[in-house]
Formats: sequence, structure tokens, C-alpha cells
Amino acid sequence: MGIRFKEVSHEYPSYSKTMYKAIQNISLDIEAKDEFIALVGHTGSGKSTLAKHMNALIFPTSGTVEIFGNEITKKRNKKIKYNNIRQKVGLVFQFPEYQLFEETVEKDIMFGPLNFKVSHEEAKKMALSALNMVGLDKSYLERNPFNLSGGEKKRVSVAGILAIDPEILVLDEPTSGLDPAGKHIMMDLFREIHEKTGKTVIIITHDMDLVYQYFNRVIVLKDGELTFDGSPDALFRSDILESNHLDLPNTIKTLKFLKDEYKLDIDIYKKTVEEAAMEINEVMSDE
Amino acid sequence: MNSIIIGQYIPGKGFLYRLDPRTKMISIIFLMVSVFLLQNVYQLFIAFGIGILVLLFGRISLLKVIKGLKPIFLLLIFTFIFQIALNKSGDVVSDTTMHINLYSIGAVVLAFVIWRILVRFNKLKMLLFLVFVVGIYFIFRYITYSPDFYSFQFTIYEKGLEMSAFVVVRLLIIITLTTILTLTTKPTDLTQGMESLLHPLKKIGFNSEEFALIISISLRYIPTIFDEAQKIMLAQASRGADFSEGKLKDKLKQIVSLLVPMFIIAFIRSEELADAMESRNFVPGQKRTRINILTFSIVDVYTFVFTLLCFAGAIVAKVVL
Repeated sequence: MGIRFKEVSHEYPSYSKTMYKAIQNISLDIEAKDEFIALVGHTGSGKSTLAKHMNALIFPTSGTVEIFGNEITKKRNKKIKYNNIRQKVGLVFQFPEYQLFEETVEKDIMFGPLNFKVSHEEAKKMALSALNMVGLDKSYLERNPFNLSGGEKKRVSVAGILAIDPEILVLDEPTSGLDPAGKHIMMDLFREIHEKTGKTVIIITHDMDLVYQYFNRVIVLKDGELTFDGSPDALFRSDILESNHLDLPNTIKTLKFLKDEYKLDIDIYKKTVEEAAMEINEVMSDE
Repeated sequence: MNSIIIGQYIPGKGFLYRLDPRTKMISIIFLMVSVFLLQNVYQLFIAFGIGILVLLFGRISLLKVIKGLKPIFLLLIFTFIFQIALNKSGDVVSDTTMHINLYSIGAVVLAFVIWRILVRFNKLKMLLFLVFVVGIYFIFRYITYSPDFYSFQFTIYEKGLEMSAFVVVRLLIIITLTTILTLTTKPTDLTQGMESLLHPLKKIGFNSEEFALIISISLRYIPTIFDEAQKIMLAQASRGADFSEGKLKDKLKQIVSLLVPMFIIAFIRSEELADAMESRNFVPGQKRTRINILTFSIVDVYTFVFTLLCFAGAIVAKVVL
């Protein structure tokens, strides 16, 4: 078992007297291997709060989170080495600016492994392989992370976590602010990491196209509550989308429009643009 | 560390809220000077009474003011104790022998433990501390059941008692005055008032508008920067830099990992802010209009009259008495 949420709630103190409930009563199991999970929900639904619980950055105000056998509760437990949990579950934040600080990319990526008591040479090797994993070559090692483009910074920040070699990788909106091509490159990358190593990858995203194309499990949050946990297919075939402020993927939207407007006998559940185009072609040639 | 509120402004009604911030600032300066002019503890008690009347008249709950006093409560207690213990003039009020022996030390330790336990449940921490200190005095005075290791005379003099009350009450009044100001005035109003008051200094080259702008921007960005710092801390904790674990040498490195992104984000923020201001046609030094224009009303006049009366009273007390 990787991560198990048991009736977890988290409240933030707010200016008014009542506490602001970021997540409430969430129960959830995440396997340590072979899962590729999308975490979706509209803004303020508690996705990031949930993600921060996954490597014990914040503690639940009620309930327990079990991470690789460590029970995380409201109080800090002196017996648990929280640092070790963070080595097992790597969390990449949305904005790379929050973590880049060294003068070279190499040093920055090495920061994580060195914190986890890896030797200097080993850390160097890990840095290079992590950098390669995110699709940057070794010419980047000596560059200043602050002079990189937004997309490159993002990759370096992902590499910084990959170098720690976590068993579960959690990414907070890794595709935000990237162009469509960049989004697919990043998603292909995560998919590849997942397939090569069998690591569980959890990705927070708003992009329903990506959810439909890449993932095999979706967790939907609405106002801090878990409203759906299952396959993307089941999600997009269900009728809970609107109540959760979610949109259909573009392929389904288009095909659905064609089906409703022209009364075509068409299978609207196609994941990629190519598949959708093929379906349209087939139906048109039948007509 | 979860939330930070800058200033203590609490929305409310009452005449103190309707006062012009300039009136409040000038009045408070005059009232503070008056307090320092006062000569003895009886005059101070009168001033303290007037202060409480102002609070009641302004419908400010005493509890809130006491909350504002919290940070300096410790200072007040220590001032009180030191004045009593060290001021050795005037008549002797009480002269007692203090006994330090096995039992009294044990009792002190017990009192300490009880104090620490009670602190965990109770919100009146400072009051408990006061009780603890007084308790120590009585323990050393009355527990005499075993031979003393050491004993000394603890003498309280009249002057010491008077001076300690004098200093403490004076501090109390001054802190209460400033608390009234911060409690009833929004930080923005404060800076605007300050800007207006410092305006005449323009003749000697001091630009009060820019000064006020700097202050209001800094105040505005303290919570934002604080928020960012927390996010950076979490991001670095994700990479194994937990600030509550690890050795000192590692911690230094970890602090660097916090400071560098902090500075970079502060620079990014300030550049964005500068762009946003410029795109809305902000030109430094230009004359600008305001949404809320400060105006004096009849309440301000009454306040000034009251302040001047207090000030005159203090001068009379100083010269005549």
C-alpha cells in the first residue's frame, strides 16, 4: 500500500471565526506501483491541499493519512522521520520559482539527493539522469536556472524531484502555462517515466483532454469532498460533470455536437483527435 | 504562523472611529507628552482614570486593549519587581526575611511545574506568570521548616512601591493610547494621515507622498511575502530540507534555499507591481486625487479641545505643584 487516506479533513484558520475547510472526510487508497492518476476539480476544491498531505507537508486536522506504513495524524510524531516520507513521495509544486535557488542547474537538482544523504558523486550521476529523463541534455548542467525559459524551469524543477528517486511522484499542475505541444511533451514524459519505472504518478490538472487521453484513474474533488474516483471513461460517460464544474474533452464535445446536430450514428467516446477524425471519416463514408 | 494580521484594526463604531487620523495622531502625541509631564503617582492615576473614561466613551472594549497590552505585560511585571526590589529610599513598608531552604526550593519547583501545566490549558498566561512570581515571594517568606542554606532581608520601601506604580501606570497609559490609535484606524488611513501631516516638510526636500506610498506598499505586501515564504518552505521540504530536522550545518544550507527564491519572488512581485502601476499611469510626484479625502469635523474640534485641556492641566501640574 502506498498512500491511504482515512476520513481526512483539513481546516485552515481564516479571518472569520469559522474555519475554512479545505478538504473534508476524504478516504482514498493509492497503490505504491503502477497507477497513473489525475486529480481534478475546479479552483479552490482542495486539490493542492490533498497533494500536500501525500508527503506529510501538512498534517490533517482530523483523520489519518498512512504513507508507506507511517501514520500521519494531527500531531507531529517524533518517531516518524518525515524527511524519509518525502523521499518516498516526491511533490513538485506548480511554480518552479519556489524551489530553484542554486547558481547552476546541476547543483539545484543535486540539492534533493544531498539532503537525503546521498554521496556527492552519486548525486551528480542522479542529477544527470534526472535531467535526461525530463528531456534536457547535459549542456544544461552548467546553466543558471534563472536564465531558462518557463518550460525549461519547469522541467528542471521536475528533475529536482526525480533525482530524489521517489516511489510516488505527485505533480501540481505541471502543464499549466505551457503551449499545447509543450503540454503533450510533458505528459508523454510522465507517462514514459511511469511506464519505465512502474512508479505511481499523480498529476493535478485542469485539462480534460489530457485526463481523457493519458490517465487510467481520475479523482474528482468538489468543495473539498471526494465526488468521483474511477476511470476517465466512466467519468465522462456519467452525468456528474456539470455539478462538479468540469468540462468534456474537446473530442467528445465535437463528436457529441455532430451527433446531436446531424443525427449521426457515431461513437462519441474517442480519446485523441486522430481517433475522432477516423470515426468521423468512417461514419461519413457509410452515409 | 498560519495567519498574520498587520495592525490591530478592528472595525467598530464610536466617535474614535469617526475621528480624522490626523486628529488622533496629533492628540496622542500631545497626550503622551502630558503623561510625561506628570510628577507623581496620584496625578498619573487621575490620567489613567481619564484614559479609561475615553475608552468607555469611545465604546472600545477594555478586553481588546488588554489584548494589545499582552506583548509588554512581561516588561511591566519586571519593571514592577525591579523597582520594588532595588529602589531603596523613603520609609520602610515591609521588612521580611527570605528563606532559601530545601522545602522552599521544592515548593518553587512544584509551583513552576503547576504554572507550566496551567499555562497549557489557560489563556491568561501573563496573569498566571504574575501569580507565579507572587507565589515565589510567599514561598520564600513563609516556608521555614528546615535549616536555611541562605537567607536574606527583603525590604520594600515606600518610595520603591510608589515608583514602581508610577512607572507601570505611565507605561500602561502610553501603550493604551497607542493601542487606541492602531485599534481604531485603518493602516491606509494612518499612512494617509501621516502623509498629510508630513506634507509641510516638502519645503526641505522630504517627499511625504512617496514616503506614504512606500509604507502602504510594504504593509500591503507583508502578508503576501509571508505566504510565499511558506510555499517555498514546503517546496524545499519536499526536497528533504525540513527545517525542524537535521544538523546546524544542513540548516544553514536550507536557509539559503529559502532566502534565494524569497528574494527572486520579491523582485518579480515588485517588477509586476511597478508595471501595473505604470500601466495605470502612475507618475511619481504628480498630483493625485483621492477617493477618501480627509476632513475635519466637529468631533475633531472637541477632541482637540479635550487634548489641549489635558495638556494645559499637565503643564499646570508641573509648574504649580
